[in-house]
Amino acid sequence: MAKSKENEIILLNAVLAALSGVALLVAVWTVATDRFRSGVDMLFLVMVCLMLAGLFAINPLLWAFEKGFIRNPFDKTARAEVAGEHAHAHGGSDAQNILIWVALLVLTAVEVFLAYIHLNLTLMLIILMGLSIIKAALIMAYFMHLKFERMSLVLTIVPTLVVLLCLFVILFPDSFRMLNLRG
Amino acid sequence: MAHVRVEEVTASSDWGGGTLPYRVGHRKLGMWLFIMSDSLTFAALLIGYSYVRVGSDNWPTPFPFYPSIIFSTVMTLALLSSSLTMVFAVSASKRGDKKAARKWLIGTIIGGLTFLVLHLYEWDHLLLDGMRPWENPWGDPMFGATFFSITGLHMFHVFTGILYLALVAIRINKFTDEDVEVSGLYWHFVDLVWMFVFPLIYLLSVDFKPH
Repeated sequence: MAKSKENEIILLNAVLAALSGVALLVAVWTVATDRFRSGVDMLFLVMVCLMLAGLFAINPLLWAFEKGFIRNPFDKTARAEVAGEHAHAHGGSDAQNILIWVALLVLTAVEVFLAYIHLNLTLMLIILMGLSIIKAALIMAYFMHLKFERMSLVLTIVPTLVVLLCLFVILFPDSFRMLNLRG
Repeated sequence: MAHVRVEEVTASSDWGGGTLPYRVGHRKLGMWLFIMSDSLTFAALLIGYSYVRVGSDNWPTPFPFYPSIIFSTVMTLALLSSSLTMVFAVSASKRGDKKAARKWLIGTIIGGLTFLVLHLYEWDHLLLDGMRPWENPWGDPMFGATFFSITGLHMFHVFTGILYLALVAIRINKFTDEDVEVSGLYWHFVDLVWMFVFPLIYLLSVDFKPH
């Protein structure tokens, strides 16, 4: 690779890493100075900053993995794929798929049990959403084969969805005010 | 990797053209992009539902645990199981076993039809109870609007999914195994959306009052 192109990549990654750092700083600053005294709005600001920090950090981190500056601790295939090796695009075995199905059924049973005992609404919402995200991740990873796809496809789909969904939720604090506005 | 010559790197560059950067065919990539946009549609509806629910002071929670929640749990079971049979259909067609793939696809269609029939039965029941998109006997009229639009859109997805799978099952000898896999992606997506609709619309509408 030409030297100037190499420098360009380093510069771009440095800019992205700096942006990520700034977003992280704003989040930390908000928590340190405000400590959520202003309510949900601040929580959402922190969430958005953390999200942006993660988003900007993706590219420098990938570059660092590729160059071998950081060892990817958990994902051997991801490293192999960044290094240009062919992905083995096999899915899971039948036994594994049945296991995932059973796991999904068990998680659903837990959710229904929460409804059965009439758990407090807010607590139930939090637990249900957590369980649903786990279920969605299981379906996407195993049934929809995302775990066995190339890292570039996963990185195109998953962060995009997460960021867009977070952007939807930014409007949410308004709904808490709606009740008071009506008087 | 660090010692590869310049020409080789540029020639094998993912984005240099002539290669598949994602290592998937264009059909599969297209389905993934459709799934992304469609999940945003559902997310918008579900978040809109949560928004009006939080902003309302008489949101109804009319579903008794028995029979409503049990009924929708059975619907969930049907949809989840049809997802499993779809996985088997995809792996059968990957092995080149078209007959088995067709058999599993028919099993998936039966699961989807079960879901659809149960769902329509439930809608019929709610309509008889006097629930409409603009009014209901229990409280905030938006309850009916959100319920019918979200479950209705999902039901429409299940319906089109059944048609899609039926087409694949009928013409399975003409389709490649990637085509079967793409139809499987769509079916799993429909299942995935239900994993959010079921807790948010049904479980959080269980009757909190009597206890």
